[in-house]
Amino acid sequence: MNRFINLFLFALIATTSLGQKTEGVVSYERRTSWVKIIGRMSFLSQEEKDRAAQTWKNDSEYKEKMKLVFNANESFYSYASEQGETEDGNYSWRNSELKLYRNFEKDKKTEMIEMLGKTYIVDDSLHTPVWKIGNQIKDIAGYICMRADTEDPIRKQKITAWFAQDIPVPAGPERYNGLPGVIMELSLNDGDVVIEATGVTFRPVTADELKMPKLKGKKIDDTAYDAIIRQHIADSMIAHRNPYWSIRY
Amino acid sequence: MKNLFLLAVLCLLTASLYGQSAPSPSRISIQGRSVDTSAAPLASSTIMLLSPKDSSLVNFMRADEKGSFTFKNIKSGTYILKISFVGYIPYNLVVKPTGDAVIDLGELVLKPITKELMEVVVRTAKAPLTIKGDTIEYNASSFKVPPGSTVEDLLRKLPGVQVDQDGNIRAQGQTVEKVTVDGKSFFGRDPKLATKNLQAESISKVQVYNDKTEQSKLTGVEDGKKEKTVNLELKEEFKKGGFGKVTAGAGPASNDLPARAEVKGNYNKFDSKQQFSVIGLGNNTNQQGLSFNDYQDFRGSNSFNWNDNADFGFSGSGRGFYFGGDDDESLGIPINGGGGRGFSNNAAGGANYNYDTKKTKLSTSYYYNQSRIEINALRNRENFLQTGSFLTEEASNQINFNGNHRVSLRYEKALDSMQTLIIINNTRLNNGNAFLFRRQALSRSDGIPPAGTLPDYTPSTLDSSTNQSDSRQFGSASTVLYRLKFKKKSRSFAASATYQINTNDGNLDLNSQTRFFQATSANEALRVIRQAQTTNSLRNEYKASLLYVEPFAKKFFWETFYNFSLRYDEVDRDVLNVGDAFPIRNDSLSRFYKNEYLFNRVGSGLRYSFKGLNLSAGLAGQRFSLNGRYAPDQTSPVDSLISRTFTTVVPNVSLNYDMKNNKYLYGGYDVNVRIPSSRDLQPIINNSNPLFINEGNPNLLPELQHNVNGGFSYFNPGSFTNLFVNVYGTYYVNQIVYSQQVNTETLVTTTFPENITGGKNIGSYMSVGFPLKKTKATLNINSQLNFGNNLTNINGTRNETENRNYTIGTRLDLTPTEWLTFYGNASIGRTNTRYSISSGQNQQITNNNFNGDLNLKLPGSFYVNTSLNYRVFRNRQSNFDQRIPLWNASVYHILGKAKKAEIRLSSVDLLNRNVSITQYAGQNYRQNEQVNTLARYFLLSFSYNMRGVNATIRRNGGF
Repeated sequence: MNRFINLFLFALIATTSLGQKTEGVVSYERRTSWVKIIGRMSFLSQEEKDRAAQTWKNDSEYKEKMKLVFNANESFYSYASEQGETEDGNYSWRNSELKLYRNFEKDKKTEMIEMLGKTYIVDDSLHTPVWKIGNQIKDIAGYICMRADTEDPIRKQKITAWFAQDIPVPAGPERYNGLPGVIMELSLNDGDVVIEATGVTFRPVTADELKMPKLKGKKIDDTAYDAIIRQHIADSMIAHRNPYWSIRY
Repeated sequence: MKNLFLLAVLCLLTASLYGQSAPSPSRISIQGRSVDTSAAPLASSTIMLLSPKDSSLVNFMRADEKGSFTFKNIKSGTYILKISFVGYIPYNLVVKPTGDAVIDLGELVLKPITKELMEVVVRTAKAPLTIKGDTIEYNASSFKVPPGSTVEDLLRKLPGVQVDQDGNIRAQGQTVEKVTVDGKSFFGRDPKLATKNLQAESISKVQVYNDKTEQSKLTGVEDGKKEKTVNLELKEEFKKGGFGKVTAGAGPASNDLPARAEVKGNYNKFDSKQQFSVIGLGNNTNQQGLSFNDYQDFRGSNSFNWNDNADFGFSGSGRGFYFGGDDDESLGIPINGGGGRGFSNNAAGGANYNYDTKKTKLSTSYYYNQSRIEINALRNRENFLQTGSFLTEEASNQINFNGNHRVSLRYEKALDSMQTLIIINNTRLNNGNAFLFRRQALSRSDGIPPAGTLPDYTPSTLDSSTNQSDSRQFGSASTVLYRLKFKKKSRSFAASATYQINTNDGNLDLNSQTRFFQATSANEALRVIRQAQTTNSLRNEYKASLLYVEPFAKKFFWETFYNFSLRYDEVDRDVLNVGDAFPIRNDSLSRFYKNEYLFNRVGSGLRYSFKGLNLSAGLAGQRFSLNGRYAPDQTSPVDSLISRTFTTVVPNVSLNYDMKNNKYLYGGYDVNVRIPSSRDLQPIINNSNPLFINEGNPNLLPELQHNVNGGFSYFNPGSFTNLFVNVYGTYYVNQIVYSQQVNTETLVTTTFPENITGGKNIGSYMSVGFPLKKTKATLNINSQLNFGNNLTNINGTRNETENRNYTIGTRLDLTPTEWLTFYGNASIGRTNTRYSISSGQNQQITNNNFNGDLNLKLPGSFYVNTSLNYRVFRNRQSNFDQRIPLWNASVYHILGKAKKAEIRLSSVDLLNRNVSITQYAGQNYRQNEQVNTLARYFLLSFSYNMRGVNATIRRNGGF
């Protein structure tokens, strides 16, 4: 066993020193726990939350596959396949538009997000959140990752990210980035939603893979985006409906 | 285990570099070199600058090939410099300003992580351990143990923890004296009790720390001794829970009725795998079933089960064939029987147990309910004939008792990753009896009166009868469902088998006296029936289905299914004429009947599915064969043989399109096949109402319904605007309709089911909702149109009834503040009915409904709810005009800080006007019915809810 570990360690160190792992594709699984999210709805009584937890406990988790294409300066995040489908592949549906492009060198992002019955184009600088770096390390899909924490002031969520020490690209899933390595796992609000890397392929990526499609939608910037989300959450809470049925958690 | 501590020390301890104080430049550079213990450079190591205040990341970079790094032109200040490199312990250093423009940190040495710790990190997926002060916290899910392992097995896996053969635990070389769960030591002093009994999978974290001894905690005197303590933190979902509620209320006698009372309660106990619940209710306030919420609490994870349909068919359009509704006395637990007609006393109770794991799911329940209902009704019906019409005025008093035992079982097992087996059984045992007294007066009018005038009616027939009956029913349905997945994605196979049995043994004592005023002879002027009827029926049904789905060309699926069904019916009916002398068998009403209905269907279809566009088309061939025989008695020679076969091919087309920005479009064409119910097929003459006789028809063919439907929906969750449009149409082939034969002398009506082709129905529904002021006022407008053409034979003449129904409605939600809400709705409905058989008798029926619901929150946890419902029933042609206002109000107060109890005073129907009214025009008649119903009563009730009473005055918009 020890020998194996030695070997493993050696291999890890060897690979890091051999080449720069700055280009490739990360595959993620995004798991949404609706029961946990329902549990956050302040307008529901404990009775209603418990009822939902008991009723839906066998199918409370919703999974989707996502992918992140990156090189040293850019990244593109979207669904892994062009349509959503059940695990057995028997039924499929259209995914809401979600295409997130980032350019770290130019400090720029372009995003196409369908929400609230509209398609928005968010065009702005990166606005990297303030990350707090912790001391924990763990292994995700074969990569040693360090912990970083931040929060989403609009959705009032605690965000925990685990970034790979040896993939030196500040890219990440969803709208998160700006750490010294690729974010391999993202946990929103203690696991309400977890986006976890299932594997990384290092290969040259083409410009097409990083390219945004033709942009159709309402152009806004981060401030406007935040204002829409904030307004929708506030309205929904007043109207006693779960805001996260119609916006991404 | 020293290594662990080394890590702890290194992670937390940060070396400091002190410099002289000097006037600081505002911008500085920090440089250094990251090397390992043998001074070899750590190329590309990650260098981070953190703010010392909260460890937030200020800047980061990668070291070059020589391990060198320089942060240039950064704001002068104190930083934490953090270096990380795979396989090394993260290096932390506090860098304070030295006054120089460049701070050179020199060589910074990173220490390798020892093999043992690396193993922990590499082997596990979740952050395996965190060190906080003197506490080491292990993340339990990082240490894989086989399912069913105890905490002891888990502890063995933790680095730095040893468990010996006897279960004694040592951590960091010291004996563990104490094991606590969520900080509480309810397992007593022996730490082994907890570790040997608790399941490893229920633990989220294991914390090892030194705790003060109980002695020093008790005395408050520090004795300097520390006990090694292991604390087990339970996973949120594994926390055992129990909740429940109880409500009891009573009110004084009113309206010559005794005092009102209701009581209900439930209790629920659960952990991550199991749920046990009990429920009970009793009342004389017409609440017969469970509310939907109570049902959900009772059944838990088994409230809904998708994929339990064992009758496979075309995907997306239901199962495509079904057996007539009236046979299926519901096997499921009754929900929402509130606000029923008449006066009822109800009691119900049951228990449910669920066990759910990823691989095995089990749910069982038992439920008993009983109701005693008293119904006093007045009915007024006018039947139209070619030659005129006749009026039936009926008054009846009825007392029904029904008791049902229901048992259910559902077992689902994942045999392996490809195969699933589901076994379901639902069983019901029923015991019922009923007493009915009925008085009917018939009068006729010959010829059609001039428009606008009422006809003159001549008394024709007078009947008074009593029915006394009792019955025992048993029904049980068992299904086995098997699903198989293949390696090839989307390829799947499923098979099912179902066995259903229903028995119904009933007795009826019928007493009736009928006078015919227009009889020509004295003999015919009075008819007396005194009969004892015994009817025993048995129905067995065997069903099997197969389904195979083959994907091809990526976006296409080829689906093929086969259904088999064999229904066997047997009825033994003995009717005895009970006179003054010996009972004599009535051969024309007694009957023995056997019937087999065999159904086979094979179908196949193609489905296209891509990016929210689903299109499918298919064809099915089906064959029915009907074999029956009947005779007055088992022993008598066969009277009649029935043998029919019917074959048909039905198509199926459907479209489902999920478009961008919450727009959906759907449409389709399919053919439903409705197999005649056993009751419709049985050649039995039911004379329990001697003026209205039902007969079965053993020659009935299945009904085919050609359905077309289409619709569009749009929902904008941002602006809360929505739109739904739906149109539908049905054309009937071999529709099962109840034709009539009216004896023109006696006006005795006999109805019997027949197959008639040509009936049709089209309609549409539309609804628009939008906020008048966002989150404060919402308006919804909807309209419904339905045009139907129904065919029947009346005395051998084809009658076409045309119904045109127009309904428009509106809903207004006002939610201006936290303390006031109002929900109002109104609907106006008009139905025009024409009868081809009697064109002068067109009916125009109005059903209007207005409703308002006001909620107020007052200071001091007081709440008020009041609602007014106003219904209008009108039919100009028959001078029927009823307006019923119903006013309910309640005041409630939530008690205590914990808000677990509520006291409520409610008044139902304050105006004392409640009566149940229905009116209908169709076929060849129009009818209205009034049933006396529980009117004004008051109730003072008390509720206790362990989870807290919820007093929101605003309705939930879905969660």
